[in-house]
Amino acid sequence: MQVRQLTAGYHDVPVLRNVTIEIPRGGIVTLIGPNGAGKSTLLRSIAGQLAPTAGCVLLGQEDLYGMSRQELARRMASVFTDKVRTELMTCEDVVAGGRYPYTGRFGILSEQDRRIVYDSMEITRVLDIGQRDYNKISDGQRQRVLLARALCQQPEIILLDEPVSYLDIRYKLEFMSALRRLAGEKGMTVVMSLHELELARHFSDRVLCVKNGCVVRSGPPERIFGQGYMRELFDIGAEYADGTAWERLL
Amino acid sequence: MKRVTNDKIDRPDGALCFGVLLILLALLLLLSLAIGSVPVSVKDILRSVGMGGGSVSDTVRDILWQIRMPRALAALILGGALGLAGYLLQTFFHNPIAGPFVLGISSGAKLTVALLTVFFLGRGVRVSSWGMIAAAFAGAVAAMGVVLVMSGKVDSMAMLIVSGVMIGYICSAVTDLVVTFAQDADIVNLHNWSKGSFSGITWDNVAVMGIVVAASAAASLWLSKPIGAYQLGESYAAGVGVDVRALRFLLVLLSSILAACITAFAGPVSFVGIAVPHLVKGLFRTAKPLVMIPACFLGGAVFCLFCDLLARTLFAPTELSISSVTAVFGAPVVIAVMLRRRRGGER
Repeated sequence: MQVRQLTAGYHDVPVLRNVTIEIPRGGIVTLIGPNGAGKSTLLRSIAGQLAPTAGCVLLGQEDLYGMSRQELARRMASVFTDKVRTELMTCEDVVAGGRYPYTGRFGILSEQDRRIVYDSMEITRVLDIGQRDYNKISDGQRQRVLLARALCQQPEIILLDEPVSYLDIRYKLEFMSALRRLAGEKGMTVVMSLHELELARHFSDRVLCVKNGCVVRSGPPERIFGQGYMRELFDIGAEYADGTAWERLL
Repeated sequence: MKRVTNDKIDRPDGALCFGVLLILLALLLLLSLAIGSVPVSVKDILRSVGMGGGSVSDTVRDILWQIRMPRALAALILGGALGLAGYLLQTFFHNPIAGPFVLGISSGAKLTVALLTVFFLGRGVRVSSWGMIAAAFAGAVAAMGVVLVMSGKVDSMAMLIVSGVMIGYICSAVTDLVVTFAQDADIVNLHNWSKGSFSGITWDNVAVMGIVVAASAAASLWLSKPIGAYQLGESYAAGVGVDVRALRFLLVLLSSILAACITAFAGPVSFVGIAVPHLVKGLFRTAKPLVMIPACFLGGAVFCLFCDLLARTLFAPTELSISSVTAVFGAPVVIAVMLRRRRGGER
């Protein structure tokens, strides 16, 4: 996937300016950067949900905004931070919604669809809450249900906006390991934003630093973290230099 | 409260629920034909539709064919349309207390129909069924437009409803003015209609409303898959490939057509649109549109047949306006829904 000189924003106010990045097939690409830097906006543009005012997003050789919706939904899935409010929907119903681009006119699931739903729920470990009301589970469980939904789309690329923010440390590790496996075994491309720098460092193949609507630096995690660059990216002053373990990350 | 774990969704057998609704519908249809100032036996009803041997008197035949049948069918078709319109609007606005009446859409349609009727009656011309629907549709779309503008400005569900109710009051006030100062022998009919009633429906009306409602219901069912995805919110719908803009347009169009059709023939009918989807959801315990769309139609039909039966028999020969009966049964449902939301900690 390629992003070429992308400018995008809301109500004619550009949030991203002239962003050019290339995302290779397979592997985990993580966006880090301060709040409001434009990470979510970048993800939305890549997801086909925020048309650029200039530049383009290419998936393979094709312009993403010229592709059919169904084609795009089969190749790319996304989980954003929008709150989902459901009524009388079980977690399984929510996950099964991910089969949308594959089912027929009335959305009736085939045997194969059901198996994919089951497998996706197994990967994100939500099988045990399958029959529960989606409104009555925890935020962390919801994040895993929504990931299962995205997996159901059997995408080449999966876009995640702060996917582990509500998870406890064990589920954070499990979630990231699951993504690692998907990227490794199935050759899936994962593009996500993270605020957990230690996770970004450990699980990413490539890290993109976003600040003020631009990608200011990119590279493998060992070239990004522990060089003092995080201080610059997040504007962390010298008063927090206390010589503890944080130093190695920043 | 009483149940400790109510976070599992136990779904009853859908076919059974549909069976119950269909039986209720048949029963109420039969009762609507049988009960009235002249009681008609079930045997005579069957005979007059060509089932069972023997013949019936001309009076009974006329009562059934000219009065009770069109009326019962209208209650069935328009009731179904109301239930469906309510469901579509609730889905569109993600608002559980939306409906054509509270959002002022019915009242907008009522105003344009009243204007058209009075204008043409003054010139001695009768307005055709299609003309009535067209006028009602124009009013419904205008009111819907105002509601849509409002919904862009207010993000609270309650405020949207309040603005809808206000639009409704303004339209109703103007309608009352028009009706009051109109001078014609048919003013009594117009007056009854502007309060909401299934009386005076002709076979011609039934045919037209049948076509319009059947087409809209079929279109809704055709859209059940994207509607299901839309329930999760726009961004998730777009993520799986729904053309959200087109879907929103079609939802507005369909609910306006349905609301217009109801208002053109029966005037404003309150609370059915809000209450029926909730009653039906409570019965089926699902929100799947493929189930909900036919279920809301059947539920609305049952609800309206029941209320119309009460409206014309409770204080016979005086007839109640349909809205006063539907409000008695529908409004408590709305209150219950709001209380349950409050308890669930939602706005």
